[in-house]
Amino acid sequence: MSVLSFHCRHRYASGFALDVSFEIAGRITALFGPSGSGKTSVLSIIAGAFPPWQGHVRLNERTLLDTEKGVWLAPSRRNLGVVFQDALLFPHLTVERNLQYGQRYRRGGRRTVELSRVVEVLELAALLPRYPHNLSGGEKQRVALGRALLSGPEMLMLDEPLASLDDPLKGRILTYLERTIAEWNVPTLFVTHSQAEVRRIAEWVVVVDQGRVVGSGRPEDALTQPGPLTWTNSSGPVNLLRIDAIAAHADHVAARIGGQNVFLPLATLPGRSPSFIQFRPAEVSLSRQDVAGLSVRNHLHGRVCHVLSVEHAVFVAVDIGQILWAEITPQAARELQLVPGTDVTCLLKAHSLTLVP
Amino acid sequence: MSAEEWSALRLSFQVAMCAALAGLPLAVAVGYWLARARCGGKWLIEAVVNLPLVLPPVVTGYLLLVLLAPRGPIGAILQDLLGIKIVFTWWGAALASMVMGFPLMVRAIRLAFQAVDPRLEMAARTLGAGGAATFFTISLPLARRGVVAGWVLAFARSLGEFGATIMVAGNIEGQTRTIPLAVYTLSNQPDGMGQAWRLVALSVLLSCGALAISELLERRPSQDVCA
Repeated sequence: MSVLSFHCRHRYASGFALDVSFEIAGRITALFGPSGSGKTSVLSIIAGAFPPWQGHVRLNERTLLDTEKGVWLAPSRRNLGVVFQDALLFPHLTVERNLQYGQRYRRGGRRTVELSRVVEVLELAALLPRYPHNLSGGEKQRVALGRALLSGPEMLMLDEPLASLDDPLKGRILTYLERTIAEWNVPTLFVTHSQAEVRRIAEWVVVVDQGRVVGSGRPEDALTQPGPLTWTNSSGPVNLLRIDAIAAHADHVAARIGGQNVFLPLATLPGRSPSFIQFRPAEVSLSRQDVAGLSVRNHLHGRVCHVLSVEHAVFVAVDIGQILWAEITPQAARELQLVPGTDVTCLLKAHSLTLVP
Repeated sequence: MSAEEWSALRLSFQVAMCAALAGLPLAVAVGYWLARARCGGKWLIEAVVNLPLVLPPVVTGYLLLVLLAPRGPIGAILQDLLGIKIVFTWWGAALASMVMGFPLMVRAIRLAFQAVDPRLEMAARTLGAGGAATFFTISLPLARRGVVAGWVLAFARSLGEFGATIMVAGNIEGQTRTIPLAVYTLSNQPDGMGQAWRLVALSVLLSCGALAISELLERRPSQDVCA
C-alpha cells in the first residue's frame, strides 16, 4: 500500500512547467534533484501552499487534492509535519511554546507523540526556555523537527533541512532524524540536492530534474546510473560505499566493501563504527592489469558498467560489488580502451578515504 | 485651568479614545487584507481608505454631514431604527475623528503585517491551525507593535481633528468643543489669548507624547520584547 500518491501538472507564470508523478511506499524517501528542478514545488503542492493546474495527491488513501473532483484540503487539515529549510520557528514564542504549538492543533490523528519523549530524543531540554533568535542553525532544525512531530503527522516532509548547516553538523542532525524515524516510525519525504544525504538515510529515491521525474529506485541503484547524474549544473557523481563489516587490526583497519577488503587508515576510526566511506571520483586511478610495487593500499577488482564523457573528463562507473565512479582524462580513457564490460583494477589510497558515520 | 478648559480636555480624550478604539478592528482587517491580497481591486480600496488624507477635512466633514444628517441616507436609518442622533453630538465628533485617523492607522498596521513572513503563517497552518487561529496566534502577535503604533497615531490625529469635526459636530461648549475647537473659539475672543496659549501648550505636549510613543514602538524590532 502506498503512503503517498502524487501526480500533478502545473505551469508557473515564469514558464517553468512541472509534470511529476510518483508513489512512495517506504519509510524514508528522498526527493532528489539539482536546485530549480521543482523539488520544493512538489513539496509545496503536497503541503497545500497552492493548488496546481491539474492532478491529485493522496495520503494513506485520503484525498488531499483532486482537481477533477474539485477536492482541495486546507493545509491545516492535511495532517503533515513539514520541516522547512530555515526552520520557520515562531519568533515570538519560546522553544517550549513552539513545540506546544505543534500539539495544540493536533487533529484526532492516530499518532500520539509525547512532548517529554520528543525533548529526550532530540535533546531539547536545555533549549526549552530560549527564543528562536538565540538558537544556532542546527538547534533550530531540531526544534522544527520536534514541533512537526508533535502535530502527530501521518507523514513528515523535510525541505532541504541541512542545506544551511556545515558538514559536521549535518551528520549530527541526520543522526537525530534517524533516531526520530526509528522511534516513531513516521513515513518521511526528504527533499535534498545532496547525493551523500540520500545515500545515507533514504530507502528509496525519486530523482527530479527540470520539473520531471528522471529516475527512481533504491539509492545505491538510482544514484549510480548515468541518467540522473548528467545534469549540467551538477558536480557529478559522489562515491559513498556502504561498509558491510569492519575489523581493527594492530596496524590497520580493514573494511569489507562489496565482498572485497579495503584498508582504512588507523587514525581515522571514530568511536562509533562508520557506515560509509566517501571519496571523490578524481581520487580513483584505473588500471587494466593488477600492478605490484605500489604504495597504494587498495586494489579493487571490478568491471566497467558505464562510460560517460562530459566536457573535460570521463566518468567511469565500475562494479566492484557496489558501484564506484572514477573520473579520468579523455586521453586516459582512450588509451585504456574502456568500454562497458572491461575488467579493471581501481587503485585507491587509504588516506583519500573519509569515513562517514 | 478653568472649567471650560477642563471640559475641552476631557472631551478631546473621550472623542479620541472612542474614535481610535472604534476604528481599530476595521483598520486591522483592512491593513491585513492590503498586506496580503494580490487581487486587482486592491488599488480601489487603497484609494478609498486614503481619501481623507488628501481631501480637505472640511470636505470630508461636509460629506459625512450629508450622509449622517437626520434626513441623510445613513442618518435617517440610525434615527428611525435606533433613535440615535449623530450630527451635532460628541458621537459625530468621534466619527469624524475616526474617519480622519483611519488612513494613518491602516498604513502603520499594513506595514507591520507586511513585515511578517507569510511562510510563518504557512508553517502554522501545516501544524493544524486554521485561518483564524493562525491570524490570532501568529500574524497579530508578530505585528502587534505596528498595530499599537497605528492606534497611537490615530489617537493623536483625533486629538487634533478640527475641520471635519466642526462640520459634523459643530462647536457646542461642553458637548462637542474639543481642544482645537476651544483654541479656535478663544482666539476669536479679545480676552481669550491667555487661555488659548495654555490649550496650545497642552495640545503640543499631548501630540509630542503620542508621536514619541508611536516612534518608539515602531523602531524596536519585535523580537526584543520577548526576551
